[in-house]
Amino acid sequence: MSLREQEGLVGNLKELIIRTLRLEDVGPEDIVASEPLFGAGLGLDSIDALELVVAIERQYQVEIPDAEVGRRAFASINALADFVLEKGAGQQASDAVG
Amino acid sequence: MRWVETTTTVRFNEVDQWGITWYGHYFAWFELARMKVLEQFSLLPEDFSGLGFIAPVVSAHCEFKKPARTNDTIRIRAHLLKPQTASLTFRFEILLQNDGSLLAQGETVQVLQRLDGTMIYKVSGTLEERLESMVQHFWPD
Repeated sequence: MSLREQEGLVGNLKELIIRTLRLEDVGPEDIVASEPLFGAGLGLDSIDALELVVAIERQYQVEIPDAEVGRRAFASINALADFVLEKGAGQQASDAVG
Repeated sequence: MRWVETTTTVRFNEVDQWGITWYGHYFAWFELARMKVLEQFSLLPEDFSGLGFIAPVVSAHCEFKKPARTNDTIRIRAHLLKPQTASLTFRFEILLQNDGSLLAQGETVQVLQRLDGTMIYKVSGTLEERLESMVQHFWPD
């Protein structure tokens, strides 16, 4: 996976989060790819996690079964991009980049 | 919309010095209706623990429309919203038995955790089967 594709995936994940969680007044540029999604960072909560898991599975066919796996996957947008690529959804990720 | 109902009588100790029910008791009444639902599907708290899970409430909301008073018989009813994620959202209504007027309506959201507190994002096995039966009851095909 090239850096360029990774960048595209990061952008798509930001869009997915904004759309799924209906974040108002938040643009992709407001989300720092290296910051935590939960707690500090974006300040998402457990209900947000449940919605994101469903959206990510639908979009990338990648399962996040529990918060233990989620801790790694949701550590940051960069971590989530790595997780999606590692779980073998590289093709969908590339397609989504267009 | 399908509801599961139960009734209770407002006790003297549940009203405040103004003669109206203290607001926190409505959540305890919601619980009566929720338990009535859960026992039908072997999903009572002890059943959850037996399967290795708990289902803590992470959000609770109530709107108070009309006061309940001592000795009023009230109907409490619960409805399960169709789950979109691994969570349970119940909607509640409390009505006055004698005229059917709406006293309060509210909602609770529960998430699912293992006994060690790890939140689960996907349900499987026996828990999934029982939850599915409950969903089917409220949302028959």
